[in-house]
Amino acid sequence: MDSWGLLTSCWRLDPLALAVTVAAAIAYLVPGRRLGVSLLPLVLALLLFVLALASPIGQLADGYLFSAHMLQHLLLVLIVPPLALLGVGPALRGRAPGRIGRLLLRPIVAWGLGVGAMWLWHEQTLCNAASQSAVVHRVQELSLLVMGTAFWWPILAPREESRLPPLAGVAYLFTACVACTLLGVLITFSPVEVCSVFAHPVDRLGVMPLVRDGWGLTVEKDQQVGGLLMWVPACLVYGVGILGVLGRLFHEHTGPTESDRGEVPS
Amino acid sequence: MSTATSPLTEEKQHHGSHAHDLVGPFSWVATVDHKRIGILYLVTALFFFCVGGLEALVIRLQLARPNSTLVSAETFNQLFTMHGTTMIFLVVMPTLVGFGNYLVPLMIGARDMAFPRLNAMSYWLLPFGGFLLHFSVMAGGAPAGGWFAYAPLTETPFSSTQGTDYWVLALLVLGVGSVATAINFIATILTLRAPGMTMGRVPLFVWMTFVTSILVVLALPVLNASIVLLLVDRQLDAHVFLASGGGNAVLWQHFFWTFGHPEVYILALPAFGMISEIIPVFSRKPIYGHAFIAASTVAIAVLSFGVWAHHMFAVGLGHTADIFFAGGSMLIAIPTGVKIFNWIATMWGGSIRFTTAMLFATAFLVEFVIGGLSGITFAAAPIDWQVTDTYYVVAHFHYVAFGGTAFALLGGIYYWFPKMSGRCLSERLGKANFWLMVLGFNMTFFVQHFLGILGMPRRVFTYPDLPYWGVLNMVSTVGACLMGLAALLLVANLVFSLKRGRVAGDNPWDAWTLEWATTSPPPHDNFAEVPQVNGRRPLWDLAHAGAASEKHETDAKPKPERTFDKGAVAVWSFIASEAGFFVILIIAYVFFNFGTAGDAAGPSAATVLDVKKTGAFTACLFASSGTLWLSERSLHKKDHAAAFRWLVVTIALGGVFIVGQGSEYLGLFERGIGVSTNLFATTFFTLTGFHGLHVTVGLFALMITLGLMLPGDFRKRSPSLLRSVGLYWHFVDVVWLVVFSIVYLRIR
Repeated sequence: MDSWGLLTSCWRLDPLALAVTVAAAIAYLVPGRRLGVSLLPLVLALLLFVLALASPIGQLADGYLFSAHMLQHLLLVLIVPPLALLGVGPALRGRAPGRIGRLLLRPIVAWGLGVGAMWLWHEQTLCNAASQSAVVHRVQELSLLVMGTAFWWPILAPREESRLPPLAGVAYLFTACVACTLLGVLITFSPVEVCSVFAHPVDRLGVMPLVRDGWGLTVEKDQQVGGLLMWVPACLVYGVGILGVLGRLFHEHTGPTESDRGEVPS
Repeated sequence: MSTATSPLTEEKQHHGSHAHDLVGPFSWVATVDHKRIGILYLVTALFFFCVGGLEALVIRLQLARPNSTLVSAETFNQLFTMHGTTMIFLVVMPTLVGFGNYLVPLMIGARDMAFPRLNAMSYWLLPFGGFLLHFSVMAGGAPAGGWFAYAPLTETPFSSTQGTDYWVLALLVLGVGSVATAINFIATILTLRAPGMTMGRVPLFVWMTFVTSILVVLALPVLNASIVLLLVDRQLDAHVFLASGGGNAVLWQHFFWTFGHPEVYILALPAFGMISEIIPVFSRKPIYGHAFIAASTVAIAVLSFGVWAHHMFAVGLGHTADIFFAGGSMLIAIPTGVKIFNWIATMWGGSIRFTTAMLFATAFLVEFVIGGLSGITFAAAPIDWQVTDTYYVVAHFHYVAFGGTAFALLGGIYYWFPKMSGRCLSERLGKANFWLMVLGFNMTFFVQHFLGILGMPRRVFTYPDLPYWGVLNMVSTVGACLMGLAALLLVANLVFSLKRGRVAGDNPWDAWTLEWATTSPPPHDNFAEVPQVNGRRPLWDLAHAGAASEKHETDAKPKPERTFDKGAVAVWSFIASEAGFFVILIIAYVFFNFGTAGDAAGPSAATVLDVKKTGAFTACLFASSGTLWLSERSLHKKDHAAAFRWLVVTIALGGVFIVGQGSEYLGLFERGIGVSTNLFATTFFTLTGFHGLHVTVGLFALMITLGLMLPGDFRKRSPSLLRSVGLYWHFVDVVWLVVFSIVYLRIR
């Protein structure tokens, strides 16, 4: 199989992705449009969600490549939840989360969940289990989505009063970025495998020759790419979050005054 | 109402009550006034600028001709090391801190910094650090390992003089001073702003100083921890960075650049802030894209902690890593590039007045773009491999550090000197100073791009007579001499204008920020009354009250911002800084004990540590956090006797921990295990030792608190003290939780 073949043929009908997409489409058509759901972020979230689960990324993440697993992991924690929150947010403005919701969404808990999502699933036993058992893998995907949503809640909550104040928001994202970088560094430079499963994949699809010889992704390089994905691009996502939070500080929080707009007659 | 003024609400600082009465030179020694301390910083930096500049001139004279023997190779190494270290740690950082010290309280409408005495201590660490660094010359030789002190070159086998030891000590002293100042800036900016001066309205220079301070708080401890490890290597015969004993020299590079890359921003951001103050005033337009400049700076500052490895392309990180860091570095260059357009757009269509300050700001834009463009070329790893460690790099970072930061600082001097002295600098001398500086600077460094591409390596004391090398170097040296002349002109202008300059008045440039609302120089307490702040340009609002007042009454009421307690802000900043320090020590431990990097022979955590015994002491330490919390709660309930009792129990429990750790150390020593036994022992003793030191410091702080609890007046104002000390104590316990899990329980 060549790269093109892999990209075109290795899609699978993922029941979870299918269910969520259909449910979202129905929800949008029936009450969502009326409630002011914004379409673009929601569609993006769904597309990336499908990409993470049903595309070759999802296939390769399933026991083949640590780097593909990491890509899936980051999409599910860092990209899909904030986009979904941005999309669904306006519709949820009228509702307050319940008691368990409030507990999970307290900033310190949410931060722990978001960073925990990174560290926990890269603990050796859990990481291996997720790649070997379909049930654990499902649990992993769902928990990543939940933890990701909890993490982004204090930044992007539909109701402004449940968001962190801007400077605290920056600190929240920055510390998460540092924790993420540390793990990325650890994975990148670790001489031992983080998940030993990926060292000896069971080649269901017959793509290993392509991956190892065609792409030149050895086991070590694979893990390095995984670590670096967590190290560099993940932090860029937090950086974008920080930009957004500060944008709020400067525009909504104070509001520009006359003197910021007007020119001085000289 | 925009014309209304309101008195300062914060309580009057008890600063300067002694210094105020003193006259003569001693009043400068005893001062805690932020303005005087700012000037002290600036004068000290100017002195070291002359020292570092003379070193640079000797370097250039040596390189003026091929095969020159003006100085020996050894001296040359010392010269460029001292030049780099001096310019970064004793000139640029102190100048930025000096301007910050002088201007930040004025710009936000405060009477002084949050902690005036801490401020004075920070300053006096500067001459002390400078003295330590230069004392090395008398102690057998200056440091010669370059400003980034790459191991193993700086290890004892290759640097046998004490130069590097003095370099380490000086940087530690300066680092402590910088962190203390940064904490002070953070507390000042967060807690002492005038009414209406929200964080979204602070001048960009204040904002940049704020961001820089956060970088300092987080980055300097990384350097401190690394140089402590280097010192352990050198003085206690360990091998952390020495391959011969199983250590790893590349680890030093990682550690250094983890500090070094944020340091680049520490040197650049306040300069961006100055440019953002100068250009609008002399273009008569508000800054274009205030929000973008402020927010993108924060994002870049944050990301700067993640991309240090682009300084290490030539080390051999592997193609995979190179690709990521090349891509990441190019991406984060974009926002800085866009800022250039912000400044150009501010000038666009404005009524520009080319005063000397504005000339330097404009030159900054040009030179910084050149430095930025050559910087981008380094992000492409293959180009980096070709030109790294050549004069191309020297040209690049001088365009950024001198053409960028120093030009902004020179602009800043011409812009704010009237405020500080009450007199304007001579524009005629200033223009001569400017043109000579621009000419000399570009002559010196532009040709070095070509020298680098021709392959001339940096840090080599002489060169063979290859085609073009001699003439290009001669041009560079002549340029350097012109820069020397320009610097002399600056000093002459400062001295002359201090006596004879045109009297400035309160606001000679028709500027908008609060420092121009008071007299020049400002009175001891800065403002009689601070104007109500309703926007980003309070003085403009004041002058155009009629036009703007209606607007303000309707929608310019900002939401009330959260107010912070300055003690809590300071302790949290300090904790963040300490956390950075411990992260490095923990990483060093993990690196040498969990991977394959350490040496297998000799003692290890599994063979020599007694988990049960230490577990018992650990329980005491954790219990002490609980008892301290009980003490705080009792104090909150006004039950002083109980608070006192719980505090005594806390101290006792902490004492048990320290005694336990001491007995563990003794046991190890008796078995012949010392710091230099192997890398496990080195990293174990540094990590747990520094933690023990922190526990000890915490114990002293608790005992002082206890002592203050005895007399009655403590009861009126103490809870915040106990809370601050308590935060620190809890932090020390959390660190131990991590250390205990990693070192004793060996959780991976």
